Amino acid sequence: MFMGGFAFKSDMPLLFRVRVFLAPATLYLAHGLISFIALTLIPRFIKNSPSTSNNEHWPRLKTLATSALSNNLTYYPSAVYPPYQPQTLKMSTTNNNNHPQEEEEEDDYMSPLFLAPPTTTSSALPIKESSLQRRARLKREAEARSRPKSKAELAQEAELQREKAHSTSLLASKPQSKGLAMMAKMGFRPGSTLGSSSSGSAEPIRVSIKEGKEGIGLESERKRKLKELVENMEKTEKKIKVGEVDYRERMRQEREEQRLEGQVRGAQKVAEGLDSERAKERGEEMGKRRLKGIPVVWRGLVKVREESERDRRMRRDLEEHAMSRLPTYDDGDEDADDRKALGKKKVVYEVAEDLDEEDEELDEFNGLTGEEKLRRLVEYLRKEHHYCFWCKFKYEDERMEGCPGLTEEEHD
Amino acid sequence: MCLPNKKLRQPCGRHRQGKASANSEIPAIPSVLCRISHPISALTPLTFGMADQKGTKRSSVESDAQDSKRIKTDDKPNPYLAHLNMDGANDFKSPLDEMERHNTTALQAAKAEDSDINPWTGKPHSENYFKILRTRRDLPVSKQREEFLELYHKTQILVFVGETGSGKTTQIPQYVLYDEMPHQTGKLIACTQPRRVAAMSVAQRVANELDVELGQEVGYSIRFENRTGPKTLLKYMTDGQLLREAMHDPNMNRYSCIILDEAHERTLATDILMALLKEIAHRRNDLKIIVMSATLDAQKFQSYFSLRKEDPPAPLLAVPGRTHPVEIFYTPEPERDYVEAAVRTVLQIHAVEPEGDILLFLTGEEEIEDACRRISLEVDDMVRESDAGPLAIYPLYGTLPPHQQQKIFDKAPEPFRKGGRPGRKCIVATNIAETSLTIDGIVYVVDPGFSKQKIYNPRSRVESLLVSPISKASAQQRAGRAGRTRPGKCFRLYTEKAFKKELIEQTYPEILRSNLSNTILELKKLGVEDLVHFDFMDPPAPETMMRALEELNYLACLDDDGGLTKLGSLASEFPLDPALAVMLISSPEFYCSNEILSITSLLSVPQIWIRPNNNRKRADEMKAQFAHPDGDHLTLLNAYHAYKGAEQNGEDVKKWCHEHFLSFRHLSSADNVRAQLKRIMETHEIELVSTPFNNKDYYTNIRRALLAGFFMQVAMRESSNSKIYKTVKDDQMVMIHPSTVVSSPYDWVVYNEFVLTTKQYIRTVTNEIAPVYYDVDTFEKGEIKSALVRLTEKVKRRQAMKGGY
Repeated sequence: MFMGGFAFKSDMPLLFRVRVFLAPATLYLAHGLISFIALTLIPRFIKNSPSTSNNEHWPRLKTLATSALSNNLTYYPSAVYPPYQPQTLKMSTTNNNNHPQEEEEEDDYMSPLFLAPPTTTSSALPIKESSLQRRARLKREAEARSRPKSKAELAQEAELQREKAHSTSLLASKPQSKGLAMMAKMGFRPGSTLGSSSSGSAEPIRVSIKEGKEGIGLESERKRKLKELVENMEKTEKKIKVGEVDYRERMRQEREEQRLEGQVRGAQKVAEGLDSERAKERGEEMGKRRLKGIPVVWRGLVKVREESERDRRMRRDLEEHAMSRLPTYDDGDEDADDRKALGKKKVVYEVAEDLDEEDEELDEFNGLTGEEKLRRLVEYLRKEHHYCFWCKFKYEDERMEGCPGLTEEEHD
Repeated sequence: MCLPNKKLRQPCGRHRQGKASANSEIPAIPSVLCRISHPISALTPLTFGMADQKGTKRSSVESDAQDSKRIKTDDKPNPYLAHLNMDGANDFKSPLDEMERHNTTALQAAKAEDSDINPWTGKPHSENYFKILRTRRDLPVSKQREEFLELYHKTQILVFVGETGSGKTTQIPQYVLYDEMPHQTGKLIACTQPRRVAAMSVAQRVANELDVELGQEVGYSIRFENRTGPKTLLKYMTDGQLLREAMHDPNMNRYSCIILDEAHERTLATDILMALLKEIAHRRNDLKIIVMSATLDAQKFQSYFSLRKEDPPAPLLAVPGRTHPVEIFYTPEPERDYVEAAVRTVLQIHAVEPEGDILLFLTGEEEIEDACRRISLEVDDMVRESDAGPLAIYPLYGTLPPHQQQKIFDKAPEPFRKGGRPGRKCIVATNIAETSLTIDGIVYVVDPGFSKQKIYNPRSRVESLLVSPISKASAQQRAGRAGRTRPGKCFRLYTEKAFKKELIEQTYPEILRSNLSNTILELKKLGVEDLVHFDFMDPPAPETMMRALEELNYLACLDDDGGLTKLGSLASEFPLDPALAVMLISSPEFYCSNEILSITSLLSVPQIWIRPNNNRKRADEMKAQFAHPDGDHLTLLNAYHAYKGAEQNGEDVKKWCHEHFLSFRHLSSADNVRAQLKRIMETHEIELVSTPFNNKDYYTNIRRALLAGFFMQVAMRESSNSKIYKTVKDDQMVMIHPSTVVSSPYDWVVYNEFVLTTKQYIRTVTNEIAPVYYDVDTFEKGEIKSALVRLTEKVKRRQAMKGGY
């Protein structure tokens, strides 16, 4: 009976459960796709257009594009006739008046004037326009003027006007308002606020118009999703952009990274071995059950191992439970062998007690580059165990005579 | 073209009509017109910096006012009150005699209330009185009467917080009454309400509780209706009304205690009153002030009302309301269509939730009616298919006729058969139901999170009612409605994240969302010189004040130094927007004050045209009968004249209105407003005159008079065959609202309203322009400027030709 909305249950949690109904959902997706295309494709189209590389120009260009049909024959050298601008351009000219008429200045090879031999004085003296040309031009201009604007164009214009009005403060407007003059007489200074204390707001409340029946949060949610999408697109785009030229370089880097990681793991293992050996020698119990007791240089190794071990066990437990009864069920008939066969033998396995805790030190270490990690490990081994990772040799004392140096190159 | 092609005709004394025509409702017909060559007098030298374009232009005169008396505004203590007491003292021994003013106790007061004789009238108490008294004693506020009195005695200003349902609005003024002893001092107690309806209904309730007749000891005063008398001790009134009274009584000498109720709503008038009362409190130590609020945001009021800097904040008394816990549910995802989601939610509640009524908040009349229709259709199905209980659906919004509003208090319907699923009612309301109305039995609240709010931006002069997200505070208020009778549930049609992130904390006070020209004029009239440092609780943006001053200057209500002019002083006497008031005051100069008076009244009530969804075509046909080619103002006038004509012919006016798709309610209230305004005009000796109807200038004069007030609301057509207009000064692109009767497009139009929906419309337009109002030099270069220059030259040429040189 209900297509969607809330599904109530007697034990309903604090959140609504909403059954998503299909048809509107697809519509919604389609809508999202269209706006996505509008947002991503159109700007890109404009980015590729040769006349400009500046994205800020795009609202202006959009109006240009729509009026291009009626406009493309009116390109005369600007010194002769001021290039005709249809009315749709008016607001944008005030917005960015620093654009020299680049588009218009480009020679239009379709124009009859293009073929005419340029007169030497063309920039100083106006070319005589024939009466026919003039009539044609006037006609074209009149047509362009009288062309009814589409609803979308009008809405856009009105909104632009409104936005423009809303974002300019009146206090600075010229000529100065009489109201402001009166307020100045009462001691008002532009920039201050009204009232006895300075708690008032200097800006009027913004007007935002809600269209349609969308609920609260939908707009921002959609924007967020769109942003994510665009970001993802950009990421993949970047990846592609790296291009074939860089392919070898990239492969080389990847291999180098892999090699370094391998060396780091090796060095960590050595460090673990040496540390635990030393601990055994000294008769200490290594703080194995607490990760934080392990030197950070090889703590990561242990953590990864412990985690994978835990996962393995959990999976196994799950499988077993799925096959048998609840884990709490105790069957009196089972003997020790049964239990062993069923894997019910209590396995004493404890994960490190702080396995799930936040470990900033380790995160920081993991964040380092492979090279840096390796350098630290090598230093650690030298300092603690007089062991050179590159010579693969444990020296007698800290002088480490015979070792050529700290880096791999020095051992070549 | 719409050039004023005749010289402005001015009435001259000789030819003005006498009293007879001035008083007749249907315009009388003056015989001859007199030609004068000098231009309009009062309003001519208007320099014009920026054009005006205002949003909702329905003026502040409210609608359904009934029989009314003029506001009594004498400063002297009322001699009748003392007289009354003397009278009473002879007849019986009043328990009040034992009580000492400003030193009473709750016990004494209770004794006085319990006595068989009504201490205020001297008559015996009715049985009903004691019945009501018992319920009154059960109210939460009743338990704190002693505490209240102690605090009241100690301080001049008191902040009182009590949630809706605590009984503060009805009880506190009575507690004050038993302590202030107005019959001894001759000074009244006033209690303000933001809404007319509330003032009326609460006054009625309190009159019942005190066992007195409404309009005698307890009365109310709202705009255009004053039900108080010489015996009145306690007066409920709208905040705007008290503000108007303050214009003639700057110290509020008539009152010994002023209670500002529902201060949390922060209406424009309440905000101004708070600032004024704060000042008056310095001058008048004997004036007590109580600020009552329903929300716990009282600290702001407390610190605002510490009179001097070194003073501690004003003391606070809080009374808990009778509330039950309300469980709040959010949606996991934002809704695509909140109306659809709301309808579904209501139906789900009806299907599965236990007994209890539903309250759904939506934004406006159209949306509410639509939702009601959809719910009732679906419920019919539910009843047929799945044996659901009956569901009664009631809409509730401001423009609904009162008898329909009353329906929301009906009991929920009985189950279809004995033992069947319980019936319930569902109220679909605007935010009227948020604080001002108490509806018992509501257990479920559905809150989509929107309301229609007035918004004003001085930069574009947009003043419109726009659908906007509510604030957190009002979302909490809405949820609270569910917990009045028992634990309830509130379903919010937005996510918890959206609630936290997208909703503002508090609704902006009205003063930040309004055009202040009327307020500034009132403040000027109240003698406030330094508006810039006026102690607003929330000061408006400087640009808002700048615009208001500017507009008043254009209207010649303020001179260039910011001083109140004669015209401004006169305009402030009218409970109208300054532009409408100026238009009315200057209308005799155009020889059409009767007609302008009618038009002003018609513009001051809601739309008189009815256009039912199922019968639009017929309604449009009927409207076309009244259509005047020159525009909507004149069409309104035609309809009004036809209405009056039908009335005079003795027809059944209600039936006539129904047949002609006109709102009888709004027409009759326009009639009433007209009578009130006429009285004010007569008091200030503004003549009521008319051009003879068969004179060819009858309509031209009216159009010119319209322009005298609304020259700031003029738009010019963009090009000769375009539908787009540009407002003269703000350069905003607008279209004429489809409801207009204007078919042939004029180049210039004057409009009454700037409506902002998803498009920008101007509503109620008439063709007229007079360049004389504009100082062309102040215009920015552009089409409009050049058009105005052309027009000025044309008019000059014509005048020269006519002048014969």
